[in-house]
Amino acid sequence: MALALADPRALYARVRQRAFRSAPADRDPVVLRHSRIYILPSRRGLMLIATLTLMLLTSLNYALSLGLTITFLLAGLISAALLHTFRNLAGIEVKPLAAGDTFVGGELSFSVALIGGSAARASVTVAASGAAITADVPAGAAQTVSLSRRAEKRGRVPLGRITLSSDYPLGLWRGWAYVHFPLAGIAYPGPEPSAPPLPRGGHGTDIHAPGRSEDNEFAGLREYQRGDPLQRVAWKAVARGAGWYTKAFDGVGAGGPVHLAWSALPAHLDVEARLARLTAWVLAAERTARPFSLSLPGASLPVGQGREQRRAALTMLALYPERA
Amino acid sequence: MNWASVLGRLRMRARPPGLLSPRQVHWLGLLLLAVQLPQAVHLPIWIAVFGVTLVALRLLLLRRDRQRPLAAPARIPSWSLALFAVAIAFAIRQSYGIFLSRDPSVAFLFVLAGIKFLEARTLRDGTLLACLASFLMITPFFYNQSVLAAVAALPAVLLLGAALEALSREPAQPALALRTALVRVAVTIVQGLPLAALLFFLFPRLAGPLWGLPSDHMGRSGLSDSMRPGAIAELSLSAEVAFRVDFDGPVPPPALRYWRGPVLTRFNGETWGTGPMRLDGRPVTEGGPIARYAVLLEASDRPWLFALDLAATLPLPASAEGRTGVPNVARLSRDQQLVAGAPVTQPVRYIEASVLRDHYPSYPGDGETNAVAAPGNPKAAAFAGALRARYASDRELVGALLDWFRSEPFHYTLSPPYLERDPVDGFLFDTQRGFCEHFASAFAVILRDAGIPARIVTGYQGGEINPNGGYLIVRQSDAHAWTEVLLDGQWQRFDPTATVAPSRIERGLAAALPAGEPVPLLARLDGSWLKSMQLAWDAFNHDWRRNVVGFNYERQRDLWRRLHLDRFAPWQIAAGVAAIAFVWASVILGWLALKRRRQERALVLWDDVCRRLAHAGLPRLPYEGPLAYARRAAQRWPQYAIAFAAIGESFAVLRYGALAGRDRERTALLATLERAIEVLPLPAALRSVPAG
Repeated sequence: MALALADPRALYARVRQRAFRSAPADRDPVVLRHSRIYILPSRRGLMLIATLTLMLLTSLNYALSLGLTITFLLAGLISAALLHTFRNLAGIEVKPLAAGDTFVGGELSFSVALIGGSAARASVTVAASGAAITADVPAGAAQTVSLSRRAEKRGRVPLGRITLSSDYPLGLWRGWAYVHFPLAGIAYPGPEPSAPPLPRGGHGTDIHAPGRSEDNEFAGLREYQRGDPLQRVAWKAVARGAGWYTKAFDGVGAGGPVHLAWSALPAHLDVEARLARLTAWVLAAERTARPFSLSLPGASLPVGQGREQRRAALTMLALYPERA
Repeated sequence: MNWASVLGRLRMRARPPGLLSPRQVHWLGLLLLAVQLPQAVHLPIWIAVFGVTLVALRLLLLRRDRQRPLAAPARIPSWSLALFAVAIAFAIRQSYGIFLSRDPSVAFLFVLAGIKFLEARTLRDGTLLACLASFLMITPFFYNQSVLAAVAALPAVLLLGAALEALSREPAQPALALRTALVRVAVTIVQGLPLAALLFFLFPRLAGPLWGLPSDHMGRSGLSDSMRPGAIAELSLSAEVAFRVDFDGPVPPPALRYWRGPVLTRFNGETWGTGPMRLDGRPVTEGGPIARYAVLLEASDRPWLFALDLAATLPLPASAEGRTGVPNVARLSRDQQLVAGAPVTQPVRYIEASVLRDHYPSYPGDGETNAVAAPGNPKAAAFAGALRARYASDRELVGALLDWFRSEPFHYTLSPPYLERDPVDGFLFDTQRGFCEHFASAFAVILRDAGIPARIVTGYQGGEINPNGGYLIVRQSDAHAWTEVLLDGQWQRFDPTATVAPSRIERGLAAALPAGEPVPLLARLDGSWLKSMQLAWDAFNHDWRRNVVGFNYERQRDLWRRLHLDRFAPWQIAAGVAAIAFVWASVILGWLALKRRRQERALVLWDDVCRRLAHAGLPRLPYEGPLAYARRAAQRWPQYAIAFAAIGESFAVLRYGALAGRDRERTALLATLERAIEVLPLPAALRSVPAG
């Protein structure tokens, strides 16, 4: 405290953080308490309060006891509605669940769980970064809401500050609370449209003849191993309950690893163009189930295959600094 | 954060307003009808019918265009409605003769609500209508503040809440059932009641109006400051209450109950009017039995207060009982009439004492002003001359005149024939049919023609004692006129009506009039159950008027004084109110939390059962629901099968059943759960039971 007093800017920052939660400093889960909940009259509430003021003045002027009674009855109703609005928000537990991934230009989806505790919550609007969704939270259950946000740039895309708000029950008061989780999704670079085919084996070269990589023939089933691409899983067998198998194709894996290297790309390409091409190649390698390695200036990924490899490679590409 | 970004944010907030859903239109329509109906009875019939029809029309259109609910108002261009509103305003101006006044404004708002509803499309229109409806809730109280009026306003309060609820509901959300919506609003209103009551008692009232136009109060029935033949007879048809009186002691007999009102000293041959008023009259304090009483006078829009003949004190506000130094609410004129400083525009309650006697000393000059013979009525003048010639003494002349009235075949009736010229002559010597004002007027005219000062006193005579509460009800139908004659320096009361129809004084109007005369229904229902019910109702109304409607500035100050609130500074009172509001909020929030805790209690109990059974060697499997687990436990310990079944089922319903708003059921289920758990022995004992 003494420190904060000594430095007014630090104090200001602290107050600002406490009031507006501008930094993503919330640990999950957050339970909404009175220190987080703000309530102000809505536009409709303001209009009704203005009307009540007029009714009050009229009743006082004409000494209408019953007019005052009705005015105060409505004032009591409005006050009680304030408590209901508060109660509807207070005690909600907010948990960040997951942040999605997508390519630039796609929709990133974030999911957040609202847990109402033992009471049902009505009409809670969850909004962040321009997206908003209104949901009821049933008693004793969690309500998952997904917010989607367009990925404009590659890299980490934070969800930003979440505003939970509600004007339940009468729409006269708007209660809201800010929650700011360090929840971020990843936007991968957009793949280069009509990129050149995968480089050949060796350092950027394929040891197999061109054309053979795309049309492999079904060779049989083998035991599923972690990391096998999902599109190769023998789903029919899984559905029968026979166990997990992976369809093996001639040439799969046998094609040998392809090495995707930043340094091997033509010199005239700029950073984003390089990333776009590498992204396209990662996808192509994954599509044809070929193992690949990736090396960027300052980072590299060993040879591998499957979903995890794909994600790791795309993440590396997404997070590549703009100015190396 | 700079201003540009703030503005940008604001602009972002101002989204295009949403459209009203048919359901919202329905709720608004119901609200408007509930607001309009109590008001309609106080409006000219064409306005009432028109306003209600507009609302009903939109609701009917909504029914017809269920598929395209917004098509109907879209067909009406909004400029035409504005034009329409202007036309209505003009028509109201024509009907009332004035526009910027209270009554025409109310009428205009009433119709405006209908017009606005007809074209309402957006949620913003909905908000506006809700506000308009709120204001229209209090306008009927301009005209009537009875218990019925209060009750009639309640549905509108409920529907306002329901309409607001519907307006705040997103279109995608399922709508609440009618009953659920109303119950919820009612609960919220009840929660707000303590705060409302606090405000009612503590919000400062005004001692006088901030604004008000003289034309605000038009056409209330009551005595006026002039009397033409037939005026009081008209008044006698009204059963409206003029005032109610609580006597401190026995109620005086009917013959002594002359409630003095305007004294009329000027006569132009047809109409009696008041003379110049001099407000320096001296109360008469002795010479007869004293009656003490409190009068609750209804608004009359006239400045005069009523007292039994003769006022012994100046009236004090009822709230000032037992205190000194409180200003009187009225002064006494030289005619012994009580006159307030301003017209009585709201019910007033005052304490008064009277000496029950029928004569009092006159003021110098009274004789001259009251002996002026009026023009016209030559036969009466001739008759007076004949009487004067026969009796030298004024007292004998008056006695002879009364005897003459008694002997002639005069007829007491509410509907005498209308006499155009020389009405006194026509009444005395031709028709001989008249009401009290004819008798009093003729009596005074003859005496004046004979040179004896005489004048008319109007007021009320009699009144009805309500056995429920022991107070006196004086109605407009008790309006009366009598005469005062100046004899030996004293004004002496004479009531020629009593001479002709003694039962009018003893038993009231209905008894004195022949059957078939159009008297108010309430005046005729002697001794019937309907009459006693009516009296009970009036007693209730009397309390209502005294304690609720009459809770004005004076009464509020009085209450504060009795609670010693006047010792506190305004900020201290405000702090007290804030503290009470805080306690209120805590209680309501605590109550809501308690409701929640009861739902949690089931979970705590269930966890306890699971723990105990796990100790006993039967842990719950992760996927097992309460019913399945209870079944398994019942198989393991068949001697407790019933308890397990009860535990499983009651917990399942408590946890997953739709119990919202069904608190009694929840309580019962919790009790079942607790009792069933009590049946189970300790885990150790359970473990020792051999597997069944």
